[in-house]
Order: sequence, then structure tokens, then C-alpha cells
Amino acid sequence: MNIFQLAWRNSFRKKTRFSLTCLSVMVAFFLFSLLAGVNHALTTNVSSDNQYRLMTSHKISLARSLPVNYQQKISVIQGVDNVSYASWFGGFFQDESNQLAVLAVDHNSYFEMYDEYNIAREQLEQWKKTRTGLIIGQAIATKYGWKIGDKIPLSSSIWMNKEGSFTWYFTVSAIYQSSTSAGDEKRMFFQHVYFDKSRAYARNTVSWFIPKVTIDADLDGVSQQIDALFVNANGVTRTTTEQVFIKEQAQQFVDMAMVIKIVVIAVFFTLLLIVCNTMVQTNRERLNESAMMKALGFSSGFLVAQVYLESVLLLAIGALFGCLFAQLSLVYVKELFADFLPGIAINPSHYITVSVLVLLAAALCSLLPAFTLKRLTISHSLGAKA
Amino acid sequence: MNTNNHKNTAIELSEINKSYQKGSNTVVVHDNFNLAIEEGEFVALMGPSGLGKSTLLHLIGGLDSPTSGSVTIAGQRIDSLSEAKLTLWRAENIGFIFQSHHLLPVLTAQGNVELPLLLTPLNKNERQQHAALALRLVGMEERAKHLPKELSGGQEQRVAIARAIVSDPKIILCDEPTGNLDRKTADEILTLLAILNKDYGKTIVMVTHDLKASEYASRVINLEQYIAEGKTIELCKAEVKV
Repeated sequence: MNIFQLAWRNSFRKKTRFSLTCLSVMVAFFLFSLLAGVNHALTTNVSSDNQYRLMTSHKISLARSLPVNYQQKISVIQGVDNVSYASWFGGFFQDESNQLAVLAVDHNSYFEMYDEYNIAREQLEQWKKTRTGLIIGQAIATKYGWKIGDKIPLSSSIWMNKEGSFTWYFTVSAIYQSSTSAGDEKRMFFQHVYFDKSRAYARNTVSWFIPKVTIDADLDGVSQQIDALFVNANGVTRTTTEQVFIKEQAQQFVDMAMVIKIVVIAVFFTLLLIVCNTMVQTNRERLNESAMMKALGFSSGFLVAQVYLESVLLLAIGALFGCLFAQLSLVYVKELFADFLPGIAINPSHYITVSVLVLLAAALCSLLPAFTLKRLTISHSLGAKA
Repeated sequence: MNTNNHKNTAIELSEINKSYQKGSNTVVVHDNFNLAIEEGEFVALMGPSGLGKSTLLHLIGGLDSPTSGSVTIAGQRIDSLSEAKLTLWRAENIGFIFQSHHLLPVLTAQGNVELPLLLTPLNKNERQQHAALALRLVGMEERAKHLPKELSGGQEQRVAIARAIVSDPKIILCDEPTGNLDRKTADEILTLLAILNKDYGKTIVMVTHDLKASEYASRVINLEQYIAEGKTIELCKAEVKV
């Protein structure tokens, strides 16, 4: 027997109380891990190449388009290696509930920049040759059972074509796989040329530009130069890194980082109160035993260490199950938000944060019992009376 | 002080004053109290409640400190030791047996007896051997794997005695060890204490209200009479068995 075994056995003395407290801890860490998974998507959902990719969109709103000729103007800025562009199609299949992430992209440059999408060379070439060609992700192909050569009607909630219809017809020319865990396989791409020539309005415009900068370029400097170029134009631009751009898009709906912070603080404050209360109660019930242990020669430090280990155990078990359930739930959440927020996943470093939180919370929860144990008078606790 | 020619003084309380605050009042428990107990004695401290018997026991065991005066155990003054040193000293020198045994309910009899040995450099096997020996000594070896809730009151007290002697302390302090037991079981426990005193040379100080218990002691101190007569250490040691 040692202090660890003693703490282990003491922890399970009141099984119901231990289980209920563990459950509270589990819920706290479940929420924390779930939100961390979403936060991960907001901050790191693009491949490592993204640090060289900028996003230039209309300063007022992404819904406003920019003239396509900006591509040429941006490409001559020093530090810019290449420029591509894309437009949001706002697509769905058959029913508006089947929303799809469909982009019209510059077929010449887009996939040179996004090399995290693995496309067979011959398929990519075939797509470039096919005006109505469509590149789909493996996940989409699997979900709908689509294969190369299939003719697919997709509807747009934004764009009407020249025929006055919102339904557009495409031919599957390529299927891509994502080379990074952060990438998703639920996007669809078609040629901007086809899009631009077929739509009924807003021709020669794009939703955003993607300037790729050289390795040694100053990101802020290049961004400022791009925006300065169009400061007096009709389409005033705002250039950020791709990572910031995606984060800002998500934050149009809600300031996720702030929500995460508030929820995490609220949850952990409640958690601390619950676990503190449990540990104080546990300690109070065992004061006689603690006094006896002191009488036997155990120091206050030993008793405090025991309380700390019990707190760690309680929190660690709760945290373990919380993280486990969050990990399982994220499989579903990831699927649900794949079109809008790809890359939802728990970063391995999150578990280090959880471990630190467990140790820290255990220390805080042991403070009051430690104070009581330190002040514990053996003779008084063991019932000595004059 | 050693007045006996062939034995050393195991416990010496000299000019002990002990008082505590109760609200705005100061309650004096002991006023200029003196007591000496020799090595190998089995002393029963008796008297009505409220005279400070348990307080004396706690002073001897280093569980409490006197307001003034000195407590010397085996030649070492303990009243001036720090809390940390006192804790270590207790682990090495004193075995406690209380009316409520205070066994840890999550540990088996064996585990409870092993508990004080965690403070020693003994390894796991040695600790188990020592605990088994102590349990055998108190006739509880067959109950080693049982939890306290599976034991009777007498058996629990036997385990508590095994826990008190497992680290081989020279002094055993008992606070009403038979207070919760029936006569037959109480006699068994007292016989056990007498064996520890006679066969193993343990110095035992026992606080008790049980007149029968005093029959097992080598010396009985009636605290009420002792305080009333203002006896000195020497007189106390000369006191005869009741």
C-alpha cells in the first residue's frame, strides 16, 4: 500500500457522490474540448501553405464583387508570386437543405495554389478542357455516389443563368482527396469562365482574389500595398491572410473565440465550486481519521498530498471521459459543419492544456482542505476533553 | 527524576500547567502537575470526567502541548519540539489506542496495521511481514483481509492495538480502550495489553473509568485523589495498586 493506493481507495468511498461529481467534471471538459475542436477549425483549418496565401475581398462585404481585372494589377505588386480568384456559387443539390460548398475558380491558377487538394493530373487536365467540368471531393462522391462522367444539376440560391434558371448543369471531371487532416473533401469547384459567361448578371467580377506571396515577402506590407492600390476605386479592398479571412467569416455569425472563452470560464468556475465543495465535504467527514493519521505520525503535508491526489483523480477521470465523448461527438459535428467550417478537430496540444487544467484545478480544490488539515488539532478532533 | 534504582524514567511531567480559553473564560485543567512513570510500568489513570485525564495522555503523546512546564519522554523534552519534529517523534516512539479505534474503513485489517509503517524505510514485503506479525500477536491473523465493517468491536480494537504496536514503540497510550466493549471483550483486550506490558516490556499509560481495567495495571493513579492531596512525583510512584 502507498499514498496513491490510499487516495484511490478513499476516492471511491462514496461512490454516488464521486460518480456525480465526476459527471459534472466530464460535462465541463466535454464542452471545453468540443469548443476547442471548433476553435481549431477557426485558427488552423488550412494547410501549411496558407501562410503565403492572402485573401483580398471587398472592404464592405464579401457579398460585394470585385472587378476581375484586379488580378492583373495585384500580380505586379512586389512580393506577389501569383494571383488566383474565386466566386461563391451558393449551391445546393435538389433541395435547399442539401447545401454544398461550390466555388467558381480560375482554372489556370487555383489548384497551383491549393496543392493540398490531390487531383490526378489527367483528371485535372480533363477538367480544364471541359467547360462545365466539376471537381468534387471524395466525401461528396461517396455520399451521392457520383463518379467521373456523371451529369449533375446544381442549383444556386444567388446566381441565375442566362436561361433564367437557377439550375446549372455540370459534368464530374475529377475527384480530389485532401492531403491534410485540416482539409476537407466536401468542396466542389468549376471553371470561373463558364460561371462568368453563363450568369445573367455581375459579369467580369469575382468574390475574392487569392494573392500568393513569395517566401521572403512581408505579409503586412504586401497587404497594405494591395489595399492602397484600390483605395480610390469603386471596389475598395481589404486584404488579410487566408487564416484571418476564414476566421472573420465565421465570426460574422458569432465571435466564436469570445464565446469559447466565456463558456470555458463559466464552466470551470462552476466546476471548481462543485469539486471544491466535494473535497471540503469529504475532508470534513474524515477529520477524525486525519487526526488519527497525524497521531500515528503522518505529517500535514502527507494528508494534503492525499487530498490533492484524490482531487487529481476525480478531475482526471472526469476529464478523460469528457475528452473522449467530445472526440466522438466531433466526428458528427465535423460532418455537420464540413461545408462551412472544415478542419474541426481536437489538436493534440489540447490534451496538454487539459492536463495542466486538471492539475491546477486540483490544487485550487485542495486549498481549503489543506488549510483545515494544517490547522487540525489532534487532541480536539479525537475528542479529548478536560 | 529517577527514584527507582533499577529502572529509568520513561515519562516525566514536571510543573505542568495547562489551560485553555472557553469564550471569555480561562479554564485551568492542570495546575503545577507532576508525574513520573518508569519504563515497563502499566499505569491506569482514573477519576471522574473533566479532571484532564485525556489531556494528560495527549501531553505525553505530543498531541497537545502544555501552557507551561516540561514533558520529558525517555530523556527527551518534547514540549519544545516543532510540529514537524513532534510528528516524526510520535511515529517512532508512541503507539495510540483510542476508545473509537479510528480504523480507515477503506483498508483491510492488514492495510490499517501497515499504515504507520509507511513512515518507515521498510519495503513492501517487510511492511507486510511486520503487519502480519502484529496481527498474529493480537490474534487477528485470520481476519487480516477483512475490512473494519466486517469485524466486531473487539476485533476492531485488536486491530487498533496491532496498529499501535506494529512500529514497535516503547510507549503505548490508551484512551478508554475498552469503553465501547462488553465485559468479556474488554477483558480480552486488557489481557492483551497486560501481555504487551509484561512480555514485551511496553510502558503503557491507560485512561479508564473501568474499575476492572485497573486490575490489569501495575499502578493506578486516581487523579481526583492525587490532585486533592497535592502529591509529588515520588508519592505518585509509591502509590499502591487499588
